[in-house]
Formats: sequence, structure tokens, C-alpha cells
Amino acid sequence: MTKILLVIERDLRSLMHQYSILIMRWFFVVVQIGIFGLAISRIVTAMQDYYYYYAMGVIVMTMYSVAIFTGYEIYDEADDGFTEYLLALPITRRELVLGRSLAGGLRSFIFMAPVIAGFMILIGIVDPLRVAAALVALYGFAFGVSGLSITLAVGLRSGDSFDIVMGALDAFIVRLSSALYPQAFMPASISVLSRFNPLTYASDLFRWSLNFDPQFLANPVTAMVVLIIFLVLFNLTGVAIYERSLEGGAWK
Amino acid sequence: MAIVKTIGLTKKYGPNLAVDHLNLEVQEGEILGILGPNGAGKSSILLMLSTIIKPTEGTAEVGGYDIRKNPYEVRELIGIAFQEPKLFWVNTPWEILNWHAKVCGVKNPRQSAEKMLKELALWDARKKRANELSGGMKKRVEVAKVMIQRPKVAIVDEPTAQIDVSGKFQIWEMIRTLRDEGSTILLATNELGEADRLSDRVAIIYRGKLLVLDTPRNLKDSIPGGDVIDVRAETPVDEKTVAEMKGIAGVVDLAVLKPTHMRIYLNRAEKMLPKIMNRLNELGVGITSINMKEPSLDDVFLHYTGAVLDESQATNGGTR
Repeated sequence: MTKILLVIERDLRSLMHQYSILIMRWFFVVVQIGIFGLAISRIVTAMQDYYYYYAMGVIVMTMYSVAIFTGYEIYDEADDGFTEYLLALPITRRELVLGRSLAGGLRSFIFMAPVIAGFMILIGIVDPLRVAAALVALYGFAFGVSGLSITLAVGLRSGDSFDIVMGALDAFIVRLSSALYPQAFMPASISVLSRFNPLTYASDLFRWSLNFDPQFLANPVTAMVVLIIFLVLFNLTGVAIYERSLEGGAWK
Repeated sequence: MAIVKTIGLTKKYGPNLAVDHLNLEVQEGEILGILGPNGAGKSSILLMLSTIIKPTEGTAEVGGYDIRKNPYEVRELIGIAFQEPKLFWVNTPWEILNWHAKVCGVKNPRQSAEKMLKELALWDARKKRANELSGGMKKRVEVAKVMIQRPKVAIVDEPTAQIDVSGKFQIWEMIRTLRDEGSTILLATNELGEADRLSDRVAIIYRGKLLVLDTPRNLKDSIPGGDVIDVRAETPVDEKTVAEMKGIAGVVDLAVLKPTHMRIYLNRAEKMLPKIMNRLNELGVGITSINMKEPSLDDVFLHYTGAVLDESQATNGGTR
């Protein structure tokens, strides 16, 4: 456990040196919610409170894009040869993957904490249980996405393949989810596909925690189960790949 | 007692055989110099011992633990300073050493990190990001990691590459101290002087194979006629003197370079010198000067590989 905490500490320290990226990300989210969100919510009339629906979706989407960054970072580290250093340390591969995955989730949180806090104050959510549920939903999702990105980075071990898969994933995972529009308004085929997307459940669970109208959301229990399966599955896969096949060098 | 033992250790990268069924034993408490040109397989051996890469065939034991079956236990005993410094670009020397010390279970990590940074003249640069450090500074941070860890088995891969002369002496002294305090050192280098200066024994690796393993002294003595004694006489030496000198047991060859200059090829020149001096006196040869030269590890490398190190680095390619 101590080793996992040390891995987390290292990742968070590295993040703190990259404050310019933090500020840029906050700025982007605030502009997206504050300008684009306001404008688009005036166009959308079929749904009341679309502005809040959209803002919550953008928060979860941003958590996704920050958490997926863990994989890119692992790739960069392999490119620099830094992975070899980590692999030589007296840390089990399992501790290394779980530490980095947990840190990836925490980094997403640190990225988004001011935005989330500001948004909760804005909509008047002060119930600690609701706040806790919302944060657990977001963290669980970000933890799972980190595990997914580690699995892909280590599994593919090719810069070109990794970029293509991540690009495709990024394009589809957002659009085939209820992050920006509810399942009720999707064409039937897309609605079916969105049910297999963890972003759908993370977004809806987050909205449910913040007291959004449940008629537009997935069932919270189902959402919770899907997110748990998601985070367990990809973190265990990441551990398995790390333990069985990861070696230093030879990344393309 | 062998603390590191490789058993048919082999590594292939695709069709390239980097390490070829290596059988090697490293004795506890020694500094073993691993000598070979770039691409000889040195780094692959060290990376396998550190459990960073996996053998294609064979295995190795470190402190009795099999690198395939017990990699975690092996990593608890081993520490490595890489040939290329492995520093994440945003981290500072202070963070790197402090974190490394904590992960490796060093007592008082902060104090140890501070001491090491000061010893290696890195204290003033402790808050700089790794990407702002010079090549020599990065290398010193890399070496500092293994020094602060004080592992049972320390691997140092070309520890003084890119380091200035005074820094080299300091790092050599630290490596010796590490050994004196109980660590076994595997020193990979292609600097023959460094291997000669530090190693208790030297292993010459060439094209993935272990060619020879012995003390530097024995390796030098293993070259027939490797030592040279140059004798300059007051007057030209006659044929009888040359024949008499050639007849001394232990003299491998003799060349008359000038009428007053003989070059004698032999082994163990320091032991043979009194005998040669006595014989020259008996023969009435007046001597103006005597120079003695023992072979270097360059000569040893040439003898065993048929190539000088620079040439073999130029022609030996492909793998690590």
C-alpha cells in the first residue's frame, strides 16, 4: 500500500510542475460551459435545464480526456526510457499499475476540482451525501479510464497504433454517449450503442447525484454496476499486461 | 560465494542474438568489470538481471532468487544506474533522489538525498527541472540514485560517461566505498582504464558471449610476452648477449631495435627484472636505461577479440 501511495505521490508532483496545462484546461472548460453552453442551451428547447445537462456532461467529458492522458504519458515515458527505471524499482507491477491508475483519477480530479466546486455552488448543491455520490461517480469513472489508457498504451506499444486507437476512441466515446444529449433524443441505433459506453453511465450518475431530472438519465444502480465493472476490468487487464508482457525498450 | 549467477542466459531481439547462453558468476563483495564494445550485449545482460527485460532462454539468480520466478525479490536486492539517465523531464534532482530513496526503503530519505546532492555538487541545481540540467549533471543524478540506495547488488552502466575528470575520480571513489560497505558492483564500461582501475575481476563480452573472466593482472599475464622491457646499452650488444638473453627462462621473444636497444617480451616483468639485470651484469653489458611496460586492457581486448575496442565499436552494431 505504501508503494502505491508513493507512485501516486510521484505522479501528482509531476502534475504540479505542469501548472500551465492546468490553467489552460480550466480556462477551456469555463469558456466551453460559460459561452458555448449558454448559447447552445438557448437553441435546445425540447428539454428544460439543458444548460445544466450540458455543463455536467462537459465536466465528465473533461474528466475523461484528462484521465486518458495517463496513457499518453506512459507512452512518452517509454519513449524517454523512463519506463525502464520504473520497472527496475522494488515495486510490484500490480502496485505500479494501480498507483498510476489511481493517480490518473486523482489528477483528473485536481484538474477539474475548481470547476466542479464552482458548478456545485452555482446550482446550490450542498447536501454532503449528494456531493459525495457525485465525486465517487466521477472518481470511479476517471480511475477506470486511466486503467483503460494504461492497458492500451502498454498493450499496443506502438505510437502510431496508440494514436489511431485513442483518436477513434475519443471520437466515438463522446458521441456515442449521453454526455451531451440524453438517450431519449438519440436515434434508436445510437441509443443502443450508448448503453455500452461507460461515459453514458458516468455522466448520468453524476447528474443523478446532483439531482437532475431522472427521466432523462440511466438507472443509477445500473450505472454504478457498469462503472464498477469498467474500472475493475481495465485495471485488472492493465495489471495482467504489465506483469506478463511489459519489458523495457522496444516501443515503436 | 556467488551472489549473481547466470545460467545459459540468452536474449534475442528478433533475429539478433544479443546475449548468447551466458554462464557467469559474480562473487559477493567484488567489483566485476563488464567490458565490451557498444552492442556487445552488456546492457542486455544488466537489464535482464534487473528484471527489466525477460530472457529468451536460460535464467539468472541474484542473491539466490531466480529472475524469472522471483523478480520482485530480485529488485529488492538490486539497484541500477543506467547508461542513459532515466529522469522524467519535469522532476527536480531533489524530488528524484528523495522519491527514489523512499521507494527503495532508505532510512531518513530527505537527509540522505541532501547529503548525496551536496557530495555530488548538485545542491545548487536541486530545484532545476531535469530538462534544464547539463548532460554531466543528469549523469550524476543517475549515479546518485544507486549510491543513495546502497543495494546489495549495484549495477552501474558506464557511470562516468559525460563526466569531467574530477567528477570521474569522485564517482570512482564512491563506487569503491559502496563496495567496501558491502555492495557487490557490476560495472559495465567500454572505458578500459576505468575497468582496470576499479575492477577486482573483468569479464570481456563480445558479440553476446563471455570470452574471458579473470583479474586484470591475470588477464594481462595471459597474453604471451605481453610485458615489455626495453634495455638501452652503453655499447652495441653482440650476438652472444642476445642469445644468452633469449635463453633466460620466461623470456618469450627479443628484438634488437637498434644496436644499443633491445626489446624483451615476457610475462611478469616485475619479477623477471632482477634476473635480467643480473645476467646483463654477468655478461658485462653497461646499461644506460631500462623501461618496463605491462600490457593494458586494450592489449588484452585485442588479444581475445582480434580487434581493438574502437574498431569493434564501429563494426559491432544492432542490439543493445
